[in-house]
Amino acid sequence: MGILSKKIWRYIVRNLGQFIAAAAVVMGGIMVYVSMSSAYYNLGQARDNFYRENRFADYYFHLVKAPEGVIKQITMLDGVKSATGRIQRDLSVIKENDERATARVVSYDLPMEEGLNQLSIVEGRSFEEENGSESAEVVLDPKYFKANRLGWGDEITAIVEGKEIFFTVVGSAISPEFIYAMKDNADILPDPLKFGIFMVENRQAQQILNMPGQINQVLVEFEPEADQGVLTVAIKDILKPYGLLASYPRSDQLSDAMLQAELDQLRGVTTVLPAIFLAIAAAIQFVILRRMIKTQRAQIGLMKGIGYHNLQIMLHYALYALAVSMAGAVAGILLGVRFSFYFTDLYATYFNLPVYFKGYNPQAIVTGIILCLAIGFVSGLTASRGVVKIQPAESMRPEPPAIGGKTLLEYWPWLWRRLSAGWKMTMRNINRNRGRFAVTLMGVIFSVALLVISFFVYDAVDYMMQKFFYQGQTYDLSIRFDSLMAEREMLNISHIDGVQKVEPFLELPVRIHGGDSSEDEVLLAYGPDLTMKELEDDDGRPILIPGDGILLNQRTARKLNIRQGDEVEVETLLPTGPVHREKVYIVGLVRQMVGSGSYIDLQQANRLLQERNLVSGAMLKVEPGKASQVEAEINTMPGVASVLSHEKEIANFENYLDTMDISIAIMVLFAAILGFAIVYNASVMNLAERNREIGCIRVIGFSVKEVSGLLFKENVVHTVLGVILGLPFGRWVASAYIDSITTDLYTLPVIIYPRTYLLAAVGTMTFIFLAHKFSVRGIKRLDLAEVLKSPE
Amino acid sequence: MERQVLMKLDRVTKTYDMGEIKVEALKETSLEVFSGEMLVILGPSGSGKSTLLNLMGGMDSPTSGQVIFKDQNISSGGEDVLTHYRRNEVGFVFQFYNLIPDLTARENVELAAELVKNPLPIDEILKEVGLDTRMDHFPSQMSGGEQQRISIARAVIKNPRLLLCDEPTGALDYETGKLILSLLKKINQEKGCTVVLITHNIAIGAMGDRVARMRSGKIVEITENPNPISPEGIEW
Repeated sequence: MGILSKKIWRYIVRNLGQFIAAAAVVMGGIMVYVSMSSAYYNLGQARDNFYRENRFADYYFHLVKAPEGVIKQITMLDGVKSATGRIQRDLSVIKENDERATARVVSYDLPMEEGLNQLSIVEGRSFEEENGSESAEVVLDPKYFKANRLGWGDEITAIVEGKEIFFTVVGSAISPEFIYAMKDNADILPDPLKFGIFMVENRQAQQILNMPGQINQVLVEFEPEADQGVLTVAIKDILKPYGLLASYPRSDQLSDAMLQAELDQLRGVTTVLPAIFLAIAAAIQFVILRRMIKTQRAQIGLMKGIGYHNLQIMLHYALYALAVSMAGAVAGILLGVRFSFYFTDLYATYFNLPVYFKGYNPQAIVTGIILCLAIGFVSGLTASRGVVKIQPAESMRPEPPAIGGKTLLEYWPWLWRRLSAGWKMTMRNINRNRGRFAVTLMGVIFSVALLVISFFVYDAVDYMMQKFFYQGQTYDLSIRFDSLMAEREMLNISHIDGVQKVEPFLELPVRIHGGDSSEDEVLLAYGPDLTMKELEDDDGRPILIPGDGILLNQRTARKLNIRQGDEVEVETLLPTGPVHREKVYIVGLVRQMVGSGSYIDLQQANRLLQERNLVSGAMLKVEPGKASQVEAEINTMPGVASVLSHEKEIANFENYLDTMDISIAIMVLFAAILGFAIVYNASVMNLAERNREIGCIRVIGFSVKEVSGLLFKENVVHTVLGVILGLPFGRWVASAYIDSITTDLYTLPVIIYPRTYLLAAVGTMTFIFLAHKFSVRGIKRLDLAEVLKSPE
Repeated sequence: MERQVLMKLDRVTKTYDMGEIKVEALKETSLEVFSGEMLVILGPSGSGKSTLLNLMGGMDSPTSGQVIFKDQNISSGGEDVLTHYRRNEVGFVFQFYNLIPDLTARENVELAAELVKNPLPIDEILKEVGLDTRMDHFPSQMSGGEQQRISIARAVIKNPRLLLCDEPTGALDYETGKLILSLLKKINQEKGCTVVLITHNIAIGAMGDRVARMRSGKIVEITENPNPISPEGIEW
């Protein structure tokens, strides 16, 4: 170690608290960067590999029914690399306790190597072509398998057209299209208790579902250079005679879209959060060095006098910043790697991904180190530029007393006169160290904002939950039938003991043609006396379903570029029965935070179908305490596909909320580190610079507590200004964040409860106070005789 | 006439622990300070005068022995007792003034005034030290003599019983130094404030009622001076 390095090393040891505080901020940034970007990288990498290896299809076509031979026609098109035909159908499953769940039966040809969207077996084995028994072998998605506590060889009962059929569980498997296994985009979250993927051999599926030699879904993989637009039109032409219900590219596939949304969100956090931390870290290092150079003026003069070059001295000081950066980087990387395992586990609970989705990303570590070095170097050299100006001879004379200029407040004499001497000192000290004050204030503002954002997620989700579960829909049970039924069948349900009220609905898949484009949408039809569901318009005001026309979902309206009052054409897409097209008016727009769907009157929906009084499900209000009894009874009724219990939906959601706790705790911890570190640093510097002044007022008779109070005044200014500016800034960041993560599937409202502002303010005050307490421990140790003896 | 003892140092020793070696700055030193007197302590640098003054002022505690102020042993009372003592009984004047750069002349004095229940009137004190027209200036805008006068004003505003001056003229030129000494003498005579002044300047000894000489951590001689001369008459 050279002499100069030794000098810096000793400085670090002597001012360890300051060093640690500055390094902690770097650590925060690098930790977020390494862990989040590892998660981002791993998730993306795992997805891409999985998609490639299991041949995730480029395009999806849903049909009413078509002969298998149609696949050959599609494969022959120039530019189509491969096409797979299969059956996909939702069945109602009767579980052991008579509860219902939905099985999405998907068929696969054996051997699987030739098809698209291949399976990867996780546990157990794959299904076999012929097993010689009545029941079909099924491979389940791991989440459903686990949530329902199933075992190999277990039998599952499902209903097809009123008849019971049986599946035997032989394994669990994942597929690129069910990484995020959510039933449809009307759901907020996957509910593995209620919905599972049932993977079955093709012949068996055809047999069970009564579709011999037929398929209802076509998956297509294009050649890399093929014109997808032209090809999809050609494929649609081929499939049109078989009742083309829907077609969409990979990016609109539900699982892919959800995964992409998660990745986008992750990328946003990976960029923004570390950037904030590292920028503040750079500012702190800059301020520390500037002060160090100021107090070591005489030493610098001496070094120059002996013959050191400016650059040598500058590098010497930059070394401090580099040391801070490197210490922070090492700690950040270690913690980041640790947390990347945590995040990986967290994502593993959401997503069905292969096991090679793991650990940290070495590239993030290298980038992290380079980032830190760059920050240390840049802040170090910019801060030490002041070295150049120091003249050796002049620098070794004591510095003249600091010039205390007038502060802004002094231009209001009536206010200034009312201030105590302590406040005057504080104000002038701030005025003299404007740069440091600004950096500290910035740190406090960010940490307040970070607290607001951490708690905001709770508020937004809670608000959404209130809206969605308690105001939006107030049913106790929601039933879906496996086919359309006459409304009068509802009488049976309303006669069940405990049922207070029944409100039927009809879910009608349609394609809306507006302007030059079209969008697939589900029309949700309710009767005129709807009480169990509340809708709201663009501005959040309640809105009623009109007798004529539709209330279009805001997001769909935006995609189609149509407005209230426009006329659109609605094409019905029921898997059975003829297709109808009719023109309707957009009477209003509805806002929905979760899921999609547009609203129509039940009568009018029936008119669209040219039917009368058909429904597809019903919402029930049940006497208190009788929900499970009623649910059990309904489960035994034929034709019931699924029963949703409001209570259980909320429980599932609350379960999910619990997984957010740790993420929020981490954010709060970051905010605390940031606020603490920056205030601690500022206070320590303040104390060191004003040693003599403090010694002097101690001698006059100020107690340690009073001196501490005097120094605290400056932190009070930081806190008050930081909170005043940080709260609205936090809200602004929250809304920018929401804008960046809003997708077609979901959005969060920018709702921040007053409690959150209060928490952020109180939290900030707490760690500023703690930082202050830590930093002023030095006052007690101050040797009064010593600091007052010499002029400098 | 019986002189009243204001402060008593009883076999006071102060040892500084410098790691491997111990430095004995004061060795079993005893001294009595009488009410209303002007005591000049003379000695070369390193003789222990500043250490003695620090102990008298409650800035430091002795390693052994007692510092008794008006029957109270302030050397064993701990931080609160020392703070209370410094706040109410003592005024300090330093060689390098030690003013707060962020406060104006007047505010520097106010800072001390805020600490006690019945401070002297600020305007009057500033007038007495001759700075009533400069009171809104900052230390950086003042000469050394002016800064020292502020420092004196800050010390006496609390109306202390004991004024401790550590080389008050050490950083000043001859003329200004004499002005400061006159000011201290005036405070001693008009306010009846006990003044202890330490200096290495032997000539200043002539203005004290008593002169104590120090060498190597000990008081070697105390002389009474029945006819102290006024600072104007001192030459060095």
